[in-house]
Amino acid sequence: MRIGAFILIGLAAASLAAEQPRSGYVLIGHPAGRASRIDRTFLVEVFLRRATRWPDDTPIYPVDLAPDAPARVRFSQDILSRSVASVRSYWQQRIFSGQGLPPPELSNDEAVVSYVVTHPGAIGYVAAGTALNGATPLDVN
Amino acid sequence: MQRTRAGVAATDALESSPGGVENMALLETLKSCGPIAAHDYPFPGTPSYRKEWPHALLPRSDGPRSARTAPRRCRRIDLAGANRPARGFGFISQGFLLSSSNDYLAHSSDGSFEFTEIGLNFTLPATDRLTLGLQIFSHDLGPIGDYRATLDWFAVDYHWRDWLGLRAGRVKLPFGLYNDSSDIDSARTSILLPQSIYPAQNRDFLLAQTGFELYGYRGLGAGGGVDYRLYGGTIFLDTRPQPGSPITVVDLNVPFVAGGRFLWMPPIDGLRLGGSVQFLRLETNLLLTAMPNPVAVNIPAMLWVASVEYAVRDLVFAAEYSRWRVRTESSEPSIFPQGLTFSERGYALASYRLNPWLQAGACYSVLFPNVQRRGGREGREFDAALTLRFDVNRYWLVKVEGHYLHGTAGLSSSLNGNRPLSALEPDWALFAVKTTAFF
Repeated sequence: MRIGAFILIGLAAASLAAEQPRSGYVLIGHPAGRASRIDRTFLVEVFLRRATRWPDDTPIYPVDLAPDAPARVRFSQDILSRSVASVRSYWQQRIFSGQGLPPPELSNDEAVVSYVVTHPGAIGYVAAGTALNGATPLDVN
Repeated sequence: MQRTRAGVAATDALESSPGGVENMALLETLKSCGPIAAHDYPFPGTPSYRKEWPHALLPRSDGPRSARTAPRRCRRIDLAGANRPARGFGFISQGFLLSSSNDYLAHSSDGSFEFTEIGLNFTLPATDRLTLGLQIFSHDLGPIGDYRATLDWFAVDYHWRDWLGLRAGRVKLPFGLYNDSSDIDSARTSILLPQSIYPAQNRDFLLAQTGFELYGYRGLGAGGGVDYRLYGGTIFLDTRPQPGSPITVVDLNVPFVAGGRFLWMPPIDGLRLGGSVQFLRLETNLLLTAMPNPVAVNIPAMLWVASVEYAVRDLVFAAEYSRWRVRTESSEPSIFPQGLTFSERGYALASYRLNPWLQAGACYSVLFPNVQRRGGREGREFDAALTLRFDVNRYWLVKVEGHYLHGTAGLSSSLNGNRPLSALEPDWALFAVKTTAFF
């Protein structure tokens, strides 16, 4: 009986944790984008540039914040499961072996919002509380 | 939502014309089409979205919505390049090698600064699918390099789909996890990659080929994803004489090199499993000191490596196992013996980032150049290494590394006064320091 109660409490806690919004940053897409949710696995592929097109074959333009931005650190840990430094090493390998370019790194949240709003197909993330100016907030599955 | 007439006119014009004009010309033409309202854009996901609009076209929601003068000369073009100009990256490294006895890679027993690398690359995303790039590289590592500037790689890359792209030009060889990034000091913790599989002195043979490469990535949903590369071409090799060597290479050709790499990324963050295979054939004429005529030597070889890497958070663990099959065919077997050799190579490494400016790494590597003759100091090399990497800032790092080695199989006889490997010191140590600036 006690074991069952513990399991139920554990499952409930896990469920609550899973439903919690990812604090610290907000994922945003271009205003014309229809999607409101995005699969985490696909998001990893997008930001590591393994996936470069949306399912309808339009180009994806991911954009990063500067390496020391708290939202970048959190996004990197939460979504990419790597530290920012590890992601930078990944891109060093890709750049200098001629296999691709990283997403542009913009200096602040407002610049990311502006980029996403003005580039159809763009996707980025900004610190929670940043004015989105029409950018579409996206949830992560 | 009703689309404006300007949007309809521009769409018609775009639809009716072939693509392929320069971006600036197109932008000028689009200006003459009149302002376009934001809602002229079909939504992504609708069939008309991709069909009708260049994706880097910026909407103008603040202008009038009428454009009756829209000309019919508007053309459709993919404008990605307009927003992504050429980007340049570079690095410069200087290292120092000091060994306790044998000379390794350079005249390290006296301490050597002949350990320099400079690279500069430019990449131009011409369109959404087409990228042009090149890298100029110069290095000096003991007897090789001599600061000659070469095109390390150059390629036209057509990324048709994520699952299929084509690179043509001089393309780095995807052998194992790290061969194609072996020059890139900033991309790893250690100074030297495990030399059993990534021997620095064989860089010219193993780094890049001139030809083509098919590549792709395919997501497998719950199964993760697969990354694959297939290539074929040749390798142009420099035949400069090695000072002090009793053998002079008259010519050296590689009629073909072909191979591929397949990596599976299962649905576990940071895990990669896979294998690589490479086939190549070397044809050379060698002039030996005692022989008036050159000896023709052909070397068909097959190399394979199995790889696993787990990179999550600040931890990287990797292990690889490889066997190289090398047949030697000689026109003068009595002078230059024929034979078939299998070598065995492998390593395991781990690195961890302790904080934003400090990483520590450890590696253990083994090399048996001939599995039939593992005995004797020249038949093996065991290499245990420890590394500390200090990131001074985002663009500058310093590394220190210590190796303890048993065996002489990875050493060069010519670099050690043409003494046989069996006569060199079996237990020795190597200390290396390297600093790299990169952007």
